[in-house]
Amino acid sequence: MSPNNPQVNRFSLAERVTHWLVALSFLYAALTGLALWSPRLYWLATMFGGGTTVRGWHPWGGVAFAAFFAVMFRRWRRQMALDGDDRRWLRLAHRYAVHEEAGLPEAGRFNAGQKALFWMQGTALLLLVASGVVLWWPEAMPRALRLAAVLLHPVVAVVSIAGLIVHIYMGTAAVPEAFRGMIQGWVRPGWAASHHPKWYREVRGR
Amino acid sequence: MSAPVKSVSASAGNGPAPGATRAVHTVAKLIDTSTCIGCKACEVACQEWNDQPFTIGAFEGTYQTLPDLAPNFWNLIKFREREENGNLAWLMAKYQCMHCVDPGCLRACPAPGAIVQYGNGIVDFNSENCIGCGYCMTGCPFDVPKLDQKTKKVHKCTLCSDRVSVGLEPACIKACPTNCLSFGTREDLLAKADARVAALQADGRKGAGIYNPSGVGGTHVVYILAHAGYPENYGLPRDPTIPWTVALWKGPLKWIGNMVLLGGILGTFFHYVRYGPRRYKDVSE
Ligand code: HEM
Ligand code: SF4
Repeated sequence: MSPNNPQVNRFSLAERVTHWLVALSFLYAALTGLALWSPRLYWLATMFGGGTTVRGWHPWGGVAFAAFFAVMFRRWRRQMALDGDDRRWLRLAHRYAVHEEAGLPEAGRFNAGQKALFWMQGTALLLLVASGVVLWWPEAMPRALRLAAVLLHPVVAVVSIAGLIVHIYMGTAAVPEAFRGMIQGWVRPGWAASHHPKWYREVRGR
Repeated sequence: MSAPVKSVSASAGNGPAPGATRAVHTVAKLIDTSTCIGCKACEVACQEWNDQPFTIGAFEGTYQTLPDLAPNFWNLIKFREREENGNLAWLMAKYQCMHCVDPGCLRACPAPGAIVQYGNGIVDFNSENCIGCGYCMTGCPFDVPKLDQKTKKVHKCTLCSDRVSVGLEPACIKACPTNCLSFGTREDLLAKADARVAALQADGRKGAGIYNPSGVGGTHVVYILAHAGYPENYGLPRDPTIPWTVALWKGPLKWIGNMVLLGGILGTFFHYVRYGPRRYKDVSE
């Protein structure tokens, strides 16, 4: 942090690489999955190499996503634990959404919304893997499981993709400079102080 | 086959509007189990006409060729032995795709054009469009389509759509030596079935009846059963319907899901329009 070019390190290289591996594999699984979700999105299958390729590779995209998420999970699970402040924050999330932040508990390295998304996507992943495996080898699965999986897999996928849409919006347009934090790894002090004050005090104190 | 089409899998809209194509007679296959002698001529004819290699299965102590249909075996005589009033009842029933009026396979299929239902009622799989997902296997209430592990394509009885399109009857019908199988317009065959059931009942077969399950809108393969009240004794499901999870998945869930996804995209966009980016005050170090 120099006065002329003040930078606060936010994410290490390992964290950034992990995040983007999770993101790319998720995006691949989501887009190839959506190709089969609706006939009106079948052009996605064409873009990704045709229906047969999409059918063959989508599950592997899901497996890659699961593997990368496991790495991210190990690294972040403690930092993502929700504390009392976070729970109060979540109850006031509607005020955060409309930029009325007075009275909101201060956020640490991750705010309660980010933490909630982390746990939500982790749960979604477990359900997607479980139902995805059933869809993967239909000929080997009992009928009752298949009947449950054809419903569960897309329901969870839609919820999860909706979460992703909000996440992408927050990470790009809604919170300027957050994206640079995840690409180049640093943010400006003012950004850190106003979006993650508890964390900012911690790193400054060091 | 260049016959008029009724519906196509995974396509926006449900086939041509009424009147847009020439009205054709719907066809049907009638299976009179009371005259089946279990000779399996139909199995052989099916393999021959469709040029399928034969798979050798394991001997399971019955006359049945294989335990179940297979990707290259579309026509199976199911042999069932039961005790009836102290006598042996040896039931034989041909099993294959039922060519449902409301086909669950077609409803479940995500690949445009992989499953087509022709105006004459035949439900046919087009391998060139099949992606091998196996959704049809889950949608079918009769457990008919089978996935070929090598080619990753699903196969089943075509009702010899190739033969029918040039005015021939299906191979199994052609081969049947007892007239247990017949082929014609669905209307004619349903009338014929009624007459045959009446004859069987007059003959003392009080339980005789027709198997043409209404849960799938009726079928283009219709059975005459001597014990119509017990279709499961012949290996036929009692009340086949498109599974409710499949109907929900391919019906309301698509709309709800699309609303959620579209809502997410529009919602975040207009959130930005209304509230804009989250600003911060710079702090001087
Ligand atoms: C280990 C994880 C996963 C496995 C094994 C898996 C497997 C499958 C399989 C076998 C299918 C059937 C068609 C196909 O192969 O394309 C499918 C469909 C689908 N998958 Fe996955 N998947 C996984 C993860 C995901 C993820 C992470 C997403 C996105 C968030 C996703 C979204 C979808 C969607 C939207 C469909 C289409 C559902 C429909 O047709 O209604 N899947 N998945
Ligand atoms: S019996 Fe199965 S495969 Fe045949 S038309 Fe009906 S749903 Fe499709």
